[in-house]
Amino acid sequence: MAWIDKQKNILDFTLSSLLRRKGKNAALVCVYTVVVFVLASIMFFTHAIKKEAMIILKDAPEVLVQRMVAGRHDLIDMKYADEIKKITGVTSAEGRLWGYYYDPLFRANYTLMVPPEFKYQQGEIAVGQGVSRSAVTEEGNIMPFFGMDGKLTSFRIRELLSSESELVTSDLVIMSEQDFRELFGIPKNRVTDLAVTVGNPQEVVTIANKIKKQFPDTRPIIREEIIRTYDTLFDWRSGIMLVVFSGALLAFIIFSWDKASGLSAEERKEIGILKATGWETADVILMKFWEGTVISLTSFLTGMIFAYVHVFFSSAALFEPVLKGWAVLYPQFRLVPYINAYQVATLFFLTVVPYTTATIVPTWRAAIVDPDSVMRT
Amino acid sequence: MIVLESVKKVFNQGRPNELVAVADASLSIDASKVTVLKGPSGSGKTTLLSIIGCMTRPTAGRIHLGDREITSLPERFLTAVRGETFGFIFQQFNLIRGITALENVMIPAYPKGERYGILKGRAMGLLAMFNLADKSASKAEWLSGGEAQRVAIARALINNPSILIADEPTAHLDTKLSGEFMEIMAGLHRQGRTIIIASHDPVVYESSLINRTVEMRDGRIVQ
Repeated sequence: MAWIDKQKNILDFTLSSLLRRKGKNAALVCVYTVVVFVLASIMFFTHAIKKEAMIILKDAPEVLVQRMVAGRHDLIDMKYADEIKKITGVTSAEGRLWGYYYDPLFRANYTLMVPPEFKYQQGEIAVGQGVSRSAVTEEGNIMPFFGMDGKLTSFRIRELLSSESELVTSDLVIMSEQDFRELFGIPKNRVTDLAVTVGNPQEVVTIANKIKKQFPDTRPIIREEIIRTYDTLFDWRSGIMLVVFSGALLAFIIFSWDKASGLSAEERKEIGILKATGWETADVILMKFWEGTVISLTSFLTGMIFAYVHVFFSSAALFEPVLKGWAVLYPQFRLVPYINAYQVATLFFLTVVPYTTATIVPTWRAAIVDPDSVMRT
Repeated sequence: MIVLESVKKVFNQGRPNELVAVADASLSIDASKVTVLKGPSGSGKTTLLSIIGCMTRPTAGRIHLGDREITSLPERFLTAVRGETFGFIFQQFNLIRGITALENVMIPAYPKGERYGILKGRAMGLLAMFNLADKSASKAEWLSGGEAQRVAIARALINNPSILIADEPTAHLDTKLSGEFMEIMAGLHRQGRTIIIASHDPVVYESSLINRTVEMRDGRIVQ
């Protein structure tokens, strides 16, 4: 009990000590909180978006087959699909129609797609929330598209795609096969690429190799490769954020190091008084440990909470342009909260531990000096 | 009883700026008596007080506290002896600014692990004894010279020490306040405490309270 009371008493004194330098300590906590907030936001966002992308890609076909002409992606004939279906282990090979459309009126890029089963009539479309926002339109309105011949074709919006999947549907326009072919002038037997499903996941690479061998003008893309690309892409984006932020981070390190490691004459005198009145070196260090812990833990927890709200309640409003992608339409959606304990622990050890240590070391040096110095001041 | 045997204290030993602050000091101080170390500035009074109060170790010589030889004790034990046996009143009072008078009084007892409520009660009792109960919530820097000094005395008494050490306690006080200080010391002496004061103020060393005067000059005890 005496041990607990001692900790409580010293912590009580530490808190009252901290309040003496309200301005300085508040400034330190603010800067510290901002640093943790930015780092944690990047961490939360990158992980949540990667996780979300992975979940979506889980339902993607195992292999995509694209036809290449002079190193460029070209339309592929449906007869390729018929041949691929004959390869042992292939469950199905379906043609997919999709492409990009630049809307000069609203200066936005849309992704146009034909779903396997389109539930509306010809001349009707379903659009993502981003498209709806960008074109300032809603369900029931008419939306015009310029065709390959320069003529304007109007479509009626029948549905706004659900916001749950907005990460992938934000810039999406879904239409019938016939409309798509007419709009872009795509012949009937041609498609954008082929979606190949494979029964046994172990055989995916072998089948991709067989396709490549049988059709040298094609490029089979395995789903795992897409996942890896997404992974790298989001890591790269968070890396950019970190580089941009590294200047501020460095400034914080210098600031906190100066604050934590340099004891002012007043602080040295106080340590002298404490020692002269019967405090042991270990007690003084314990007090400084509590001081460092109070500052760094308060900043850490505040920064983490702010980051959580920022990422999962405001869709990372501050970093949106850098982190979310190249499209003109930024999805507005709420990420599913996902926190990796390992990363939180890493952030904790990179922020709280160095600061607390930086606080203790100079105190230890000051506290081992004879307390009689206080008699001479 | 405190016994010093050929105590010597040298600062910056072996360096060009070497200074012998106390040389060959042998002295015995009786328990429950008031002893004054008298002498001009630089005579070694403060250094000798620091050595007696276990704040600094002598370069040579031995110190006995009662029947215990304390010179060779490790730092931790020496701190424990200091905390349990001695109460200090410093020349500048050395109160910590920014915290209240009450907190200042409680400081020496924090590491003892006493329950906060009990400790606070004792500290309030000491402040009340020195007519400072209404100043308990005042910040140290708001106190007058006399109040600050009484808070410093209360702080020195919080761990109920048997020996009270005061270094030039009246240096920053006028004659009236110096007189009040000596009255407080008389009261503490009546409680049976040993009091050791370093001073070159006649109000102190000519006081009827003093049982013994030890004169120092150039680091040596001359009388």
